[in-house]
Amino acid sequence: MSEDVIFSPLAWRNLQVKNRLFRSNISGRFDNEDGSLTQTRINWECQFARGGVGAIVSSFVPVQMEGRIIAGYATIHRDDFIPLWQRLGEAVHRFDCKYILQLSHSGRQMDLPGVHNQHRRSLSSTDHQESLHGFLCRAMSEHEIERTVQAFADGAWRAREAGLDGVELHAANGYLFTQFLSSAINDRRDRYGGSLANRARFLLEVIRAIRERVGPDFHLQVKISAVDHNDILPWERKGNTLAESLQVCRWVETAGADALHVSVGSLFPHPLNPPGDFAFDTIASTYDAMLSAGTNTFRNYLLFRYSSLRWIFRWLWSRHQRGHAVEGVSLDEARAVRQAVDIPVISTGGYQRASLVREAIASGACDAVSSARALIANPDLPKQWQVGQDEPARPCTFCNKCLLNAPKNPLGCYELSRFDGDHERMIATLMSIYDTRPELRLPSVPPAQNP
Amino acid sequence: MRSQEPPVTAVQQEARRRRWRRLPLSLLALAVVLAGLLALAIGVPTLWRYSGESVRHYADPETHFLHGSIGSEVSGLPVRLWRVLPDLFPDAFDDQHYEAFGFLYAAGDEASRGDLPIGLGAREVRGVEIAWFNCALCHVGTVRESPDAAPRQIAGMPSNNLDLYAFIGFLLEIADDPRLAPDSVLAAMDEQGQSLGMIERQVWRYAVLPQVREGLLETRATLAPLLAEQPPWGPGRVDTFNPYKLLQFGMSAADLDASERIGTSDFPAIFHQRPRQGMDLHWDGNNASLQERNLSAAIGAGVTEESVDHVGIERVADWLLDLEPPPSPYRPDPDAVAAGKPLYMRHCADCHGYQQGERYVFEGERLGQVLPNDLLGGDPARLDSYTETLQRYQLTLFEDDERYRFRHFRKTDGYANLPLDGLWLRAPYLHNGAVPTLYDLLLPPADRPQAFVRGLDVLDEEKGGFVAPDCTPGEPLAEGFCFDTSQPGNGRQGHDYGSELTTQERSDLLDYLLTF
Ligand SMILES: Cc1cc2nc3c(=O)[nH]c(=O)nc-3n(C[C@H](O)[C@H](O)[C@H](O)COP(=O)(O)O)c2cc1C
Ligand code: SF4
Repeated sequence: MSEDVIFSPLAWRNLQVKNRLFRSNISGRFDNEDGSLTQTRINWECQFARGGVGAIVSSFVPVQMEGRIIAGYATIHRDDFIPLWQRLGEAVHRFDCKYILQLSHSGRQMDLPGVHNQHRRSLSSTDHQESLHGFLCRAMSEHEIERTVQAFADGAWRAREAGLDGVELHAANGYLFTQFLSSAINDRRDRYGGSLANRARFLLEVIRAIRERVGPDFHLQVKISAVDHNDILPWERKGNTLAESLQVCRWVETAGADALHVSVGSLFPHPLNPPGDFAFDTIASTYDAMLSAGTNTFRNYLLFRYSSLRWIFRWLWSRHQRGHAVEGVSLDEARAVRQAVDIPVISTGGYQRASLVREAIASGACDAVSSARALIANPDLPKQWQVGQDEPARPCTFCNKCLLNAPKNPLGCYELSRFDGDHERMIATLMSIYDTRPELRLPSVPPAQNP
Repeated sequence: MRSQEPPVTAVQQEARRRRWRRLPLSLLALAVVLAGLLALAIGVPTLWRYSGESVRHYADPETHFLHGSIGSEVSGLPVRLWRVLPDLFPDAFDDQHYEAFGFLYAAGDEASRGDLPIGLGAREVRGVEIAWFNCALCHVGTVRESPDAAPRQIAGMPSNNLDLYAFIGFLLEIADDPRLAPDSVLAAMDEQGQSLGMIERQVWRYAVLPQVREGLLETRATLAPLLAEQPPWGPGRVDTFNPYKLLQFGMSAADLDASERIGTSDFPAIFHQRPRQGMDLHWDGNNASLQERNLSAAIGAGVTEESVDHVGIERVADWLLDLEPPPSPYRPDPDAVAAGKPLYMRHCADCHGYQQGERYVFEGERLGQVLPNDLLGGDPARLDSYTETLQRYQLTLFEDDERYRFRHFRKTDGYANLPLDGLWLRAPYLHNGAVPTLYDLLLPPADRPQAFVRGLDVLDEEKGGFVAPDCTPGEPLAEGFCFDTSQPGNGRQGHDYGSELTTQERSDLLDYLLTF
């Protein structure tokens, strides 16, 4: 089986990986309110390492508390978290699996602000609220930008200090970097807005700052949306085109990135990311957690909640999906990026069948693929491929119930049919990562300090 | 005042800020919504109220004849207005109600209670109840066997009391009278206790009453020049075709030839329609179809092609088919009657049919046929008032409906020989009512009264017909109307069939005629 391209190792400038399947970024609210990670996260990540993926790209890891999307996701904004991340790295490394930490900042796309952020507008490139949920924001000052650039560099340094194998800048899917990059969102008039070069400035500054901080020999990849498709609401502008993104990718390469991770969409979620169905009943049961987060959330809730109104959202959503296959949804964009740059490219979106992955890599469209949902459903997918199975016996249906449950419920597969309709089994599977067996520590007696 | 807690989230803060910013807009929207709701709440019931039409159905055909609608309301006046006119114009009504113009009230009806007189049918059109003429207006009269007796109402006899000319003149007169202004009409309604709701009051003030006045002014502009030219019709008479030309066909009085401008004639009796089918109907016999004659009469009463209520009209027509006149109350000497009958049979029956005991026999060589006026020698005005031009217009009526299309109208050269059933109720005689009694009719035209009182309903025991004392035109009368046979259209000439008889023969013939 060794000549299978999927399982041929990768030897990139700063990263060696045993095979071509990366676990794409996913996480649930497993961690502590203060951003420290937990045993649960270690358990969670180890499932995939154990399952055989070559590398894990972490979930969204904020470099500052003000850049969280959901409280309960681990952060990397404090030095004292380094040992925690180190522990996680060690855990994963035991399976000969690499761990790449996704350095992130929500900008205005903040789903559940939590106590840290709910009292203020989030920082963004613009004063204009986010279009779909109506998340409020304000444009960052140059000083704030400077601070944020530094926070990214510090985050990268902490990852390196923790012994992790690299970092990824989350410059895709509508978060802070997208808010600067996208022509549909960035309305700044300073040197961070207007021309493509200005819009890309923030990202490139971050890359250079990281290189400066961690040196040239630490793996740094950038996840980017190749096309914005920003007009989910028909009155919004389309945003960046593929050609604009290719230019950004070239600049990113020049600035010192080692690889690119290619996605699409200037919002998250987006009809094309992750592609698949939209489970109205699921979101109607979870979106309430976000009601207080935005000015349009109640409107959306009504659209999700009432079946007589659902056609409106279904129409908005499905408009963009027409003509796109779920599996390998943005492979074409990955191919275009790979042709535009000389650094390796990871493609994400709907990878579950070995044959498709093999063809994608063999055809030169990309160097590796990353999978999220297929691995949530079957963490041992690489092993199944390895024994010659093209697709798991109980494949992911791309129903997106895992995604739509995320704001409120533990992350995992919620497709009941995959558990033969057995709810108990489904819950048991969800709960398996909470097997933390903690050694409970007693707080010291004096000092009677709080906390 | 409790101070407001600070907002917990940025979204709440923004919502508060927007609330204040949006307040004027929200208030405006609220106002618009409220105004819309109010408009709906008022508008929908109002539209409902002022749309569609409904008509009262009378189970008994005779009541339908007296009070039912035939579809003439387009030409009519609102019932509420009918009720207040006598109060508004006491001078014209002589402090009475419509009896001042010779209208009759059905037994048990009370003008002061708001009941309308006989001859008005009512229909609610777009929420307003409107009343106008029906067949009974011109075909119900009264008789008294003595001056002290109570008047007896008889359906089917000519309306010997009704002064239509005076009534129409009154309506045209008040068209621009200040008393017809909404304020005074509404006040009169209030006084009568006719309660109008708040909205209804506005509808009446701004729509109904102005529309009525406009209609009257328009009719006045059309009709008044013609009426001014005609001698007053007097009670029991109408000009059938001239107003019809102006109102239905839009001709103007000036368009009419001098010879056709006066067509005033007596209201006819309308008993026994079945045997009359196929006879030349109308005084000049211009139509032999009962149905067309009925429909044409309805048009004369104000029905239009659009408003016509065929069912209502046909119900009346059916009831009239076999309507009998009450038997003659005269009890002449049987011998004289027996002597008079052969004379009648020899001289008259051919043209008029005859009375056989209680029964009228509708047989006669020339019964129901037009006799050229060259032979008859009657006043030609009525004959001339019906013209070929009018006939052409009439033949366009109901063109779109084969069932009702007019086909039978024709211009004739004389007057029709009519059956004489119910003759005792049909005075004054001849088509124009120029001869007060049967006795006078048998006299040579020159000996017939030159001017006499019309509009009385006391039977003349000797002469047949109603008591009709001589009068001098122009001199005021205690009651009735001085009919001057020297006026155009009122000529008493013609039908000179008694002058060859001896006095005795005439007397016997008269006695026989009194049994009709
Ligand atoms: C529940 C869920 C959470 C995700 N979270 C992240 C994230 O934190 N950062 C990120 O870059 N992408 C995130 N993604 C996108 C995935 O990494 C992936 O690119 C996308 O789902 C397409 O891959 P798939 O079709 O294999 O799921 C998430 C997807 C899902 C379903
Ligand atoms: S819920 Fe399960 S089946 Fe559905 S998309 Fe997520 S992993 Fe796949």
